[in-house]
Amino acid sequence: MIHPSMASAAASLRLRLALPEVSAPSPAALRFPLRCRRRVSRPLAITAFKKLSEASSVPIPQEPTQPLVDEDALPPKPGVYGVYDPAGELQFVGISRNVRASVEGHRRKVPADLCASVKVAVADEETPDRTVLNNAWKSWMEEHIAATGKAPPGNVAGNYTWVGAPQRPPDLRLTPGRHVQLTVPLEQLINRLVKENKVVAFIKGSRSAPQCGFSQRVVGILEAQGVDFVTVDVLDEEHNHGLRETLKTYSNWPTFPQIFVGGELVGGCDIISSMAEKGELAALFQK
Amino acid sequence: MGVTKEDVEAAITSALSPSHLVVTDTSGGCGASYEIEVVSEKFEGKRLLERHRMVNTALSPHMAEIHAVSIKKALAPAQASPAPAPAPAGARRR
Repeated sequence: MIHPSMASAAASLRLRLALPEVSAPSPAALRFPLRCRRRVSRPLAITAFKKLSEASSVPIPQEPTQPLVDEDALPPKPGVYGVYDPAGELQFVGISRNVRASVEGHRRKVPADLCASVKVAVADEETPDRTVLNNAWKSWMEEHIAATGKAPPGNVAGNYTWVGAPQRPPDLRLTPGRHVQLTVPLEQLINRLVKENKVVAFIKGSRSAPQCGFSQRVVGILEAQGVDFVTVDVLDEEHNHGLRETLKTYSNWPTFPQIFVGGELVGGCDIISSMAEKGELAALFQK
Repeated sequence: MGVTKEDVEAAITSALSPSHLVVTDTSGGCGASYEIEVVSEKFEGKRLLERHRMVNTALSPHMAEIHAVSIKKALAPAQASPAPAPAPAGARRR
């Protein structure tokens, strides 16, 4: 299932397409309909999908045991779909490599009073390019916003009824485990890690459950900034054995958390907090 | 146990000869957690990270027994008392 997410500003039509992974990535070459072949500059997907207003409505049975309508009406194919509640309000617009499976998924996870019927437009091609699907989603969204002045509730940022909350990246590990003899010094592993990742926070505990108030504060600040960052748990003796002492020497800094940006230590909790208060962090992450 | 507010103050005073120093015991009595505000001429021209490092270095003999130090301010005198705001327009000297 793939889900576009929608920036809040509906009226401005700034549709931010922050699409997570496509479930079946296909670098398949675009196959143009014959008549388009000679005009390569023609925008993609203009003719490929029905408009939202042109698509016909397909009921979704309320009982989960009742099967969905047949595959002609709801095909297991790539396309764009919009789910309506019983009152006929559009609740969510999504795109998928398998529209039928996605609708089935929604039916199971989303409250029944939000899923009464669905409109579907499938792609002409069997493996459309991701951009084609994105554009189809965008044009359905724009069509709906133009008609009603608002985005479907399920597409508003922060609504996790239809799409799950974004997964936090796991904590990075410096080594595979204590049983593995390192062939390079730990300093070198640290060095590589802080240079390969733009923002690194060495914290006590995991990102989802920091075990020290200072680490927790730093994770909170970084998440509030919306910056992409990775975390390393310095208390993980299995995978980061010896990291605490080595890192203190490497960075010439006695405590944790330690935040590196662009390979350089910025500081600990006090420094990050005071930079956040003064509004200096955004500039730091832009570099 | 064993590090007092006075120990912390003495360590910072001897290393940084601060013009302003406030040490607050935030541990609730066990002496393991302090908040520090310090203004020193030695901070002039140093980055925040460097200034914090200087405070940490000054405290390093005691760090083994202190659980948490929070450096609230580490400023050079010029930063601590910024130049007075320019006289508002229209305020003429007579």
